[in-house]
Amino acid sequence: MTQPEQHHDHLQLPVFGPRPEIAPPRPWSFPKPVRSELDNGIELINYRLPGQHVVSVNLVLDLPLAAESRELEGIAAITSRTLDEGTESHSTDEFAELLESAGAGFGLDVTSAGVQLVVDVPDRRLDPALELLAEAVITPALAEGDVDRQVQLRLAEIEQARANPSQAAAIAFRRTVFAEGSRYSRMTEGEPDTVAAITSDAARRFHSEHFGPRGAKLIIAGDVGDEIEALAGKHFGGWQVPEQSTVAYQPPQPGRRRAVIVHRPGAVQADLQLGGFGIDRGDPRWADVSIASYIMGGAFLSRLNSVLREELGYTYGVRLGFTPLRSGGTFAVSGSFRTEVIGDALRRTKELLSVADRPFTADEVSDAVTYFTGISPLRYATADGVADQAAVQALAGLPDDYPDRRLAALRQVTPESAAAAYQSLVDPENLTLAIAGDADKIAEPIKDAGFTDVEVITLD
Amino acid sequence: MTEASAGRLAERDRAGNGRTGTGDREQLLLDYPVAERVLDNGLRVIASPDHAGGSVAVNLWYNVGSRHEEPGRTGFAHLFEHLMFQGSANVASAEHFGLLQPAGASVNATTWFDRTNYFEALPAGGLDLALWLEADRMGTLLTALTAENFENQREVVKEEKRQRYDNVPYGNVIELIIGQVFPPGHPYSHTVIGSMEDLNAAEVEDARNFFRRFYMPNNAVLSIVGDVDVETAFAKAEQYFSPIPAGDRPAELITAELPPLTGLPRIETTEVVPSEAVYLTWRLPADRTPHFDALELAFGILGQGQSSRLIKRLVRGREIAESTFASAMGLVGGNSLGMVGGRARSGVSPEELEQALVDEVERLISEPPSEAEVERAKAQTERHWMHELARIDSRADQLSGFATLYDDPNLINTRFAEIAAVTPDQVSAAIEAWFTADQRATLIYRRAADDQTAASTEDGR
Repeated sequence: MTQPEQHHDHLQLPVFGPRPEIAPPRPWSFPKPVRSELDNGIELINYRLPGQHVVSVNLVLDLPLAAESRELEGIAAITSRTLDEGTESHSTDEFAELLESAGAGFGLDVTSAGVQLVVDVPDRRLDPALELLAEAVITPALAEGDVDRQVQLRLAEIEQARANPSQAAAIAFRRTVFAEGSRYSRMTEGEPDTVAAITSDAARRFHSEHFGPRGAKLIIAGDVGDEIEALAGKHFGGWQVPEQSTVAYQPPQPGRRRAVIVHRPGAVQADLQLGGFGIDRGDPRWADVSIASYIMGGAFLSRLNSVLREELGYTYGVRLGFTPLRSGGTFAVSGSFRTEVIGDALRRTKELLSVADRPFTADEVSDAVTYFTGISPLRYATADGVADQAAVQALAGLPDDYPDRRLAALRQVTPESAAAAYQSLVDPENLTLAIAGDADKIAEPIKDAGFTDVEVITLD
Repeated sequence: MTEASAGRLAERDRAGNGRTGTGDREQLLLDYPVAERVLDNGLRVIASPDHAGGSVAVNLWYNVGSRHEEPGRTGFAHLFEHLMFQGSANVASAEHFGLLQPAGASVNATTWFDRTNYFEALPAGGLDLALWLEADRMGTLLTALTAENFENQREVVKEEKRQRYDNVPYGNVIELIIGQVFPPGHPYSHTVIGSMEDLNAAEVEDARNFFRRFYMPNNAVLSIVGDVDVETAFAKAEQYFSPIPAGDRPAELITAELPPLTGLPRIETTEVVPSEAVYLTWRLPADRTPHFDALELAFGILGQGQSSRLIKRLVRGREIAESTFASAMGLVGGNSLGMVGGRARSGVSPEELEQALVDEVERLISEPPSEAEVERAKAQTERHWMHELARIDSRADQLSGFATLYDDPNLINTRFAEIAAVTPDQVSAAIEAWFTADQRATLIYRRAADDQTAASTEDGR
């Protein structure tokens, strides 16, 4: 131990008062939306947020991945990505120019539970932006050349993902943590063989069967008033798709535990995913597990990060996160470790993950609760923060006051309840492992760390 | 104590609005409150109340970035930033996080070419704690700095370098590009993360010298934004920071503007990458000069958004690129950096993509940006800018930045109007002066065969 330096440039150290106490935060609750229904059944969920002049519009479609046929997986993503590539009224270039002249930004997210289409736009241009969003989703051209291009771009994107070590580990992890052969074991936006088979005819058919107002929710957050109902009605109220089919959400099933290496010759780090099958937000253990995973791998000074980063310098950062789906979910320890130390990192990770001899403490639980409570107001301070959360709730079937209920549930967590929930899900000796790294160097240390069954796989 | 104020100090019943007037012209000017005071020790304090959310953002910019680093010590400003979390006289190692996160804070710090910033945002009841922690490390960091902490964070930073740069495809792109655009020894000729060699050579004594040289109240700006009124913010800043004596402020680093590149520098490198790629780069004028503002719009017109020329012609149109980009990276030390490029579609040679990119750059002169294109680029800038200012933490960062770099925190209210005032003719004039095809450097990534190792050739320097 080196002694800290005792001298300083200044004659004496500045003298500060005692460490200040924290005054409790003022009460906070998630904004309450104004709900209404358009003539065609679309639910309008409006958050009126004074001062938020960039309005966030989030159209959530009840379109679970189960709507895709096995042969054309990825078609939800390809169809959605081609929506803004021209419509019955405007060419691709015209549409892009109109949208961007309105100062709008367009984005989308395809999840296992449904599709989200997102537009952010300054409030004074909300009307044209809504008109363009409606045009894209109701009357897209889905022309052959545009769908073919999106297919090619998706294939290139897969190559980029496989070449990136953390994404490669995540792809390998999902193949293992979800039941073999199930939709969840394959990428949400599709794998190469099925993406390559998608045609514009198929995309148009998929659009006409599955994109429709039934089950759709239009979330609009920002500094808007009563005019929003008429505006939403004008652009979305006339959307009729009598032939829209309803597809039931298919929950995921857990896979068989495995340990795999995605071989990356010459890699200087090993990218780790170590975890298993988890739970969703509706599970009674969700609050307990949220607290447990923050203590174990969410805080900067979590049990994992304070040892593997701050004590040992093995990694830039390591975390444990639970990822909920509409039903079920996953959890994983993730991080990038220097190749030379991956064996020891795995051994120590398994030890740290065990709470048998090191139960959660009341202080750890209390710190986690005040963290989640304190970050909420800022996280939801902007229109896009509120709209994103509202979309998550829409996709997962959660109530409007879910964030408030969640904080209340967190306050009920005890060290014992957190440990019980955590131990019911996390068995450190029986976790699924996916690592992207140089197999020639890391396979033996990984076996020595207890993963004697580790296999080297390719992502092709 | 000296005091200065800018903008309106009056608090409003609906804070966080940031919007004034209803006409298009007036909407270009925002009206976030900006109040300023300089403590006796030279610490510049900016307060901007916003009572809407009950949170407060604390943001400190130190006027030191990688451009201030000594030869042989690249990456040091960033390594030092890590040491700022390793404790001070009254704070244990990593306790900064350990105290702030349970107070409901998001906490971090970043290092860039032109600055190092430290920030936290949390419920307003934690403001005193945040200021106390920042003051303690500003005043007493060296009393806690040990060889152990230094060695540990050196390893953490090396892992950060491996994770973000050395172990990912195209991870060396910034290093290669700035080596082309800036001459050896120029403050921007090395990366912020630095070289492994220099990180290995750094010593704890370097950290002590670095702290003495750059970390002092009169080389910093403190912004306090959120649920606290102006006078309270100033009083708390005074309470916690005034015990820290002023230091010998480092002389301002002035780097002369270099003219545009000549001689078409070129690097071709063969690496394990998923797609072949082309990066064209330019040496541009410094951030916030009239030409730079015009060029930022030009790069947007060329390559940002689905209606931009590159996406319209190369991603759609000819379908030779899987992605394209164009961006201007503003820097204050004499020159900025401009980048244009793309990843080639399978079966397209990098030369074909390179020629197509060069053609589009040349076309900016033969078919100058239209009024409509300029307006689209401004509309996108406006949304990004409004979005950036909507949150108290990013607003605090902008205030600190404008005060540090331009001595004018009120730019958060006037900056967009400066950009909105640029005309298409000014965009064209800036392109002709700084952004022509013969002023570029070229970097080509070729795909290595599976059994081939990386290799590169370089010429034109």
